[in-house]
Amino acid sequence: MKNEPGITIITDPDFSRHDTGGGDHPEVPERLQVITERLALGSLAGRIRTLASRPALRSQLLAFHTEGWLFRFEESVLSGRTYIDHPDNQVCYDSYEIATLSAGSGLVGVDVVEQQPGSVVFCQTRPPGHHAEPNMPFGFCFFNNCVIAARYWQQQYNRQRVCVFDFDAHHGNGIQTAFEEEAGTSYISIHEHPSFSYPGTGWAEDRGLGAGTGTILNMPLPPGAGAEQVLRLLPRIRNFIEVMQPDALVIAAGFDAHRQDDMSGLAFTVDLYRQLGGFIMELARDFTAGRLLSILEGGYYLEKLGVCVEAYLAGLVEKSR
Amino acid sequence: MFIHYHMTPAPMTVTADQTVAEANDLLQLNNFRHLPVVNEQGLLQGMISDRDLRSARPSSVAQSKERHNIEERVKNTPISLVMSRECLSLSRLATLDDALLIFQSRKIGALPVVDEEERVVGIFSIGDLLKAYRCLFGLGEKGSFLISIEDNDDPQILSKLVNIMEEKKVEFTRLVRSNGTCKSRPMIFLRINTYNVRSVYKTLEAAGFTIHVPEMTP
Repeated sequence: MKNEPGITIITDPDFSRHDTGGGDHPEVPERLQVITERLALGSLAGRIRTLASRPALRSQLLAFHTEGWLFRFEESVLSGRTYIDHPDNQVCYDSYEIATLSAGSGLVGVDVVEQQPGSVVFCQTRPPGHHAEPNMPFGFCFFNNCVIAARYWQQQYNRQRVCVFDFDAHHGNGIQTAFEEEAGTSYISIHEHPSFSYPGTGWAEDRGLGAGTGTILNMPLPPGAGAEQVLRLLPRIRNFIEVMQPDALVIAAGFDAHRQDDMSGLAFTVDLYRQLGGFIMELARDFTAGRLLSILEGGYYLEKLGVCVEAYLAGLVEKSR
Repeated sequence: MFIHYHMTPAPMTVTADQTVAEANDLLQLNNFRHLPVVNEQGLLQGMISDRDLRSARPSSVAQSKERHNIEERVKNTPISLVMSRECLSLSRLATLDDALLIFQSRKIGALPVVDEEERVVGIFSIGDLLKAYRCLFGLGEKGSFLISIEDNDDPQILSKLVNIMEEKKVEFTRLVRSNGTCKSRPMIFLRINTYNVRSVYKTLEAAGFTIHVPEMTP
């Protein structure tokens, strides 16, 4: 055990203060609890150290979001509104503060990775972020945690060529918005086909715009797709990364493509998440000198979310030796 | 649904006495594929397309000297000799359906739009048609996607669906009932605007509807 690679989890008890109103809203505090419980009981338990998040600064949020959205978000929650723009985006009085703390988990993660490249660093955070647009919330997301972490990596450590790989069941429209016109950053997403799945974006045809042409790789999967279809895509992802030559990798790690998670029609297995973890760590080893940060996105089936995250982290650990 | 709202107004035009070379330059420069041909009063005389121009040029297998001579002659040829005179047109109040049927039956790529006096006021292409139907069906509207519901032949199925969606405050923007074909079953398509698909599915299934999950293999 002594020489086994460790895992750094960045999380915060305050994440549970983002209250989505009960009822049938699937983005609930229990999501993080089931992950914590599983990691504490499972085979990775002895390797885990936990770090607290820190709130992202206003200037760090503005690296992607507009001033107008920050004001609107803060004002909405302080005035007692229960959702913003759409009932999906449930908020409570504390949501602005907690979303800022959630965005900050990626910043702590980037600092850890820079100190210990090659290590396994996972932000166990909520609210999630990859649907958030510069000026509005979307699909339970308020601040785009992955993009804010990527911008911090660029600005604080001069790692300009950041690539985000998103294996959440849903396309990360906000990440694509951030990167699609840039030549240096890149975005890879595997997700359920946009005809059948929220948010209705992520067409294979979208490859980037202007200077960013060729920097977006969308690989929509038909409903029912599972390990066989995903594993077939891995060589394409590796080739894409070989062309993009990123300095750092951010993983938008969503687990709602699991076969029992009814928030998507995909049929990923627990073992597929382990294989994805191994594949991703190999990418980091071969292309980014181990600079790799994973940030939790979706995953709503509470009975399996913990084991899916555990399997993904185990895959990362196996290849980080 | 009216062409007026989807056409390109005041399109670039040529006159019949301009040369093929001039038409070709305009098409290339502006990345167009069709130009209406008009007279001095702006009345429709015909259409010229990149295909008409390609047909007028010598074959690429012609001998080089002969080819060069023909190329020169073609360049100086007036548009009147190569344009389509029997072209169809649309009025501003024609519908997208009119255009679709013409495109499909005549295998053409664009139609001039004319006023009551046959004056060219616009052009409408297959690209415009696709864009218009894309808007109509909501394709690409961020935050929305389709769910398919099996049609159970209930004559009131649409009103029942609408009532359920409104009661549960599920935003939706399109509702389409499609008859089956030899290749597909009768189906109802609903474009909903929510991430919480789990809740929508549960609600619909509790009301007796069957959500159709597309098969992976044909």
